Amino acid sequence: MATRGIDFARLSLKDALDLAIFIEEEAKERYEDFASQMETHHTPDSARFYKFMAGNEEKHRAELAERRGKLFPKDPVTVSRQMLFDVEAPDTDEARTFMTPRQALTVALRCEEKAWAFFDGALKVIKDAGVKELFTELRQEEVEHQDLVKAELAKLPADDRFKTEDFEDEPVSHD
Amino acid sequence: MTTDLVIGMAGSGGDGIVSAGESLIAAVATEGYHAMMTKSFGSQIRGGESSCRVRLSTEPVLNPGGTLDVAIALNWEDFLKFGGELPVGGNTIVIYESKTGVAPDKLPLPGVTPAEVFPVPIADMAKESAKTDKAKNTVILGLIAGWFGIGGDGVMKGLRKKLAKKGPELLEANERALAAGRKYAQDHPLKTPRVMERPKTVSPKLLTDGNDMCGAAAIFSGCQFFGGYPITPSTEIMQFLSREIWKYGGSVLQAEDEIAGIGAAVGASFAGKKAMTATSGPGMSLKTEMLGLATIAELPLVLVNVQRGGPSTGLPTKTEQADLYQAAFSAHGDVLRPVLAPTCVADTFEITVEAFNMAEMYQTPVVILSDQEISQRKETCDPIDTSKFRLVDRLRPANSELGTHYARYRFTESGISPISEPGMPGGNYLAAGIEHNEKGAPISGGIMHAKMNEKRFRKLNPIRTRRDLFQTYGDPNAPLALIAWGSVAGVAREALRVAERKGVKVKLLVPRLLYPIAEEFFNDFLSGVQAGLVVEQSHQGQLYHIMKMVLDLPKGLKSYARSGANPFQPAEIVRRLREQAQAMHQSGDSMPQEE
Amino acid sequence: MTLAMPAPVPTLQAKDFRSDLKPIWCPGCGDFGVVQAVYRALAAVGRPPHEIAFISGIGCSSRIPGYTTAYGFNSVHGRALPIAQGIKIAHPELLVLVAGGDGDGFSIGGGHVAHAVRRNIDLTYIVMDNQIYGLTKGQLSPTSPRGLKTVTSMYGSLEEPLNPLMYVLSYGAPFVAQGTPADLPGLTAMLEEAIRYPGFSFVNIQSPCVTYGEESGQIKAQKEKMKALADMKHDPTDRIKALSLAQDYGRELYTGVFFRDPNPPPTYDALVKARQAELSANALPRQNILDLFLQK
Repeated sequence: MATRGIDFARLSLKDALDLAIFIEEEAKERYEDFASQMETHHTPDSARFYKFMAGNEEKHRAELAERRGKLFPKDPVTVSRQMLFDVEAPDTDEARTFMTPRQALTVALRCEEKAWAFFDGALKVIKDAGVKELFTELRQEEVEHQDLVKAELAKLPADDRFKTEDFEDEPVSHD
Repeated sequence: MTTDLVIGMAGSGGDGIVSAGESLIAAVATEGYHAMMTKSFGSQIRGGESSCRVRLSTEPVLNPGGTLDVAIALNWEDFLKFGGELPVGGNTIVIYESKTGVAPDKLPLPGVTPAEVFPVPIADMAKESAKTDKAKNTVILGLIAGWFGIGGDGVMKGLRKKLAKKGPELLEANERALAAGRKYAQDHPLKTPRVMERPKTVSPKLLTDGNDMCGAAAIFSGCQFFGGYPITPSTEIMQFLSREIWKYGGSVLQAEDEIAGIGAAVGASFAGKKAMTATSGPGMSLKTEMLGLATIAELPLVLVNVQRGGPSTGLPTKTEQADLYQAAFSAHGDVLRPVLAPTCVADTFEITVEAFNMAEMYQTPVVILSDQEISQRKETCDPIDTSKFRLVDRLRPANSELGTHYARYRFTESGISPISEPGMPGGNYLAAGIEHNEKGAPISGGIMHAKMNEKRFRKLNPIRTRRDLFQTYGDPNAPLALIAWGSVAGVAREALRVAERKGVKVKLLVPRLLYPIAEEFFNDFLSGVQAGLVVEQSHQGQLYHIMKMVLDLPKGLKSYARSGANPFQPAEIVRRLREQAQAMHQSGDSMPQEE
Repeated sequence: MTLAMPAPVPTLQAKDFRSDLKPIWCPGCGDFGVVQAVYRALAAVGRPPHEIAFISGIGCSSRIPGYTTAYGFNSVHGRALPIAQGIKIAHPELLVLVAGGDGDGFSIGGGHVAHAVRRNIDLTYIVMDNQIYGLTKGQLSPTSPRGLKTVTSMYGSLEEPLNPLMYVLSYGAPFVAQGTPADLPGLTAMLEEAIRYPGFSFVNIQSPCVTYGEESGQIKAQKEKMKALADMKHDPTDRIKALSLAQDYGRELYTGVFFRDPNPPPTYDALVKARQAELSANALPRQNILDLFLQK
């Protein structure tokens, strides 16, 4: 899990909320990056899916931000995104040229599972009751997201047995 | 009285012949003479044969001169190794070490009867006067002072300065050796006295060589970075700068190779500083890729190529003019790169300042194509009024142009786009060797590439109209023309003098901008020309062929070219010119006027 | 989970270093992670983008300066280091980063590395080492393992790979580290430390090529085999120990700082400034420079 420098035992509710916001923000941006990579590399169906995911993450981020605004309207942010990379966001290397929507959804599913594991792990050390409540709720949301993605996956036809690389053009050399 | 004297001396490195020449030229400079000194060496690093020529005159000296007036041989074997570089003729006074045992009527100079011959016991005189035969070179300076009335006291003054830290003993020994030489000359007068006429006025003079002059001009121009690699005959530029440039907030990087040298200079220029590199032909070959980078990234850069004989290692210590094609054309892709050539040491100052100005003005690499002769010969020159030079800095963006909308390679009417540099807020951009759009972002499309090429060429258009980069001499209506560049220009100017004295109507063009060809200027000069010569020290005659590529040349204009290390003589150029005119006449074309 | 909260909030954010250019890298490329780590390391260091010069040569990874908002220079193959040194010497106040691939740095540009190291110019050299030539479509690189089959080594490479870590350590680099996008927090911290280090710092990043790279080099595989030097209780002030560990390059994947000279030697750029200051009092006015040649 790519986080560093977080002492969950001493995490306050405000910082926990900010962290959660950053986690969503990170995921949103990574999905946007992936969507952009898919667009640049002529993989439009997966691009559309990653854009959809980015939209979801943004929605969650906005909800959390609103709560944070209500609870701690004036308190400054004291945690940073510096050391959060892929709590809920896919790893930077998970996109592939010509990936099928099924493969793209599988990446997203792994992310939801990964996020669930993150909150679950953190809950084991968290002491603050408010933080505990928040993380429990967030962990539950990941379950719902997993179900959502699984449902989407079920709607998709199975990938055929052939690999794109057996049909595609040779890569192009540059520079 | 004599007004022009060419002295040639040769010996082994241990004889200090070149050191004597240095003392002599410094002394005559303070006496108000115009002078020029060239050196030539064998291939040994230390202890080989060495020679020098000092030409001095009451008039400006345009070239090292031809046949020697005075030939001094410490031993004949070494002297003869320099062959055509030290030609002896019927007017030459020959002075040689009598210990060589050669009889005055049996000199090893077949077919030549010199005007006067003096076997002199130079080594013995040194031993007797200075208590060391090492002082032979000072005895020679005494002989020169005695016979020709030059140097003498000025030499002592110079030695006093040079040896100040070495104690009185050495100085006194030199003093006695000089006196001994003088006395010998007084006791053995020339049959025909050749005492030099004194200059009419004695004004202070600069004395230096082309490489040091180039370095000084770089500092004057505001150069703050030099990156380079040692290579003969350009290294002295780096040496000069490594002594001086720090004082002006600049620095010299002696890089690990030629490529890194120019690379660091490209980097310094990107960082906003005026930057320079210097090399010779082989190094230029290695630097070519970086030049292309500077062209497409539109970075100002001055590159000096001090030409030597090539290809490959060729003749590292001898002059040649065979790198013009390389300077102008060594590039892949469509590249237009200005090439400037100085004609003498003094001109090296002006051309170097011009190169920096041009590089900054047009954000382009500029090549200074010097040659071994100019770069390593010492010349006196009149002080240069530096206040007449305007220094150009690259066009930087106005505050309003900076920010997210800043476009480093913006298409402008002139083709010149304001250039930012790291440290400038809002000027951030990507410089690249890859083709890019106005913002500097890499592209791979043909339309933008064509537009950028057009911009990079268009911005250089004004250079072609620079008439001040050309010198013309002689009768502008003459039907005979001479064209010469670089160090050969000095020989051509003297050839023009000779021709005029003989009543041959001729004009001379000395282009200092060699590329791009300034078509309009060349066409003006060549209109009415029926015959002529483009004189170049290369096998191919490269300027001639570039001219032929771009211009419609008069039928009678021919190339007169030969490989390096074979200096042209004014007289032979005139002879060739007359033959050229003759051929024109015989072929039925209208005859050039000859009075 | 070591440091206590709250962590300092940098005034500059990673997004301030990210440009609008879309990477040409293949989806799945290790360099996507590297550039993320670079954004964050730069944000942590806190120098504004216009005070940063980011220089590269040619290759996939050499495209990286364009993806940042710093002043970038995507130059020619193998020559990033000379250009960067010229920049740093000419303008020592800049933060200078150099990046490129293993071929750019250790094949065509290999001759420059030793000299940048021995000069100890204060810059950070990042090599994205993927053991392959990607942009020219999968040829042998100087760090390709012996036996590797590529389009130019159809029957297997006959050469030993070059060892970038040993190379720079041997020439006396005062800061040498290895990271991977498989550990982005570690990589970010390491880059920040390298950039802050006053002297020549070198970071070798095992950044896999998704298109031509070996399966064993991909991020998933790296996650299985990487070992943090800190966990191995390596003392990064011990150069000999660092050299000894560096010998395992190609077999083991150690991450972290191999060597950090605790007494940073003087940097070339600092010495240049000192020399300029010392000699400037002796300068003739620029316009009188020719007085040097005046014969009196």
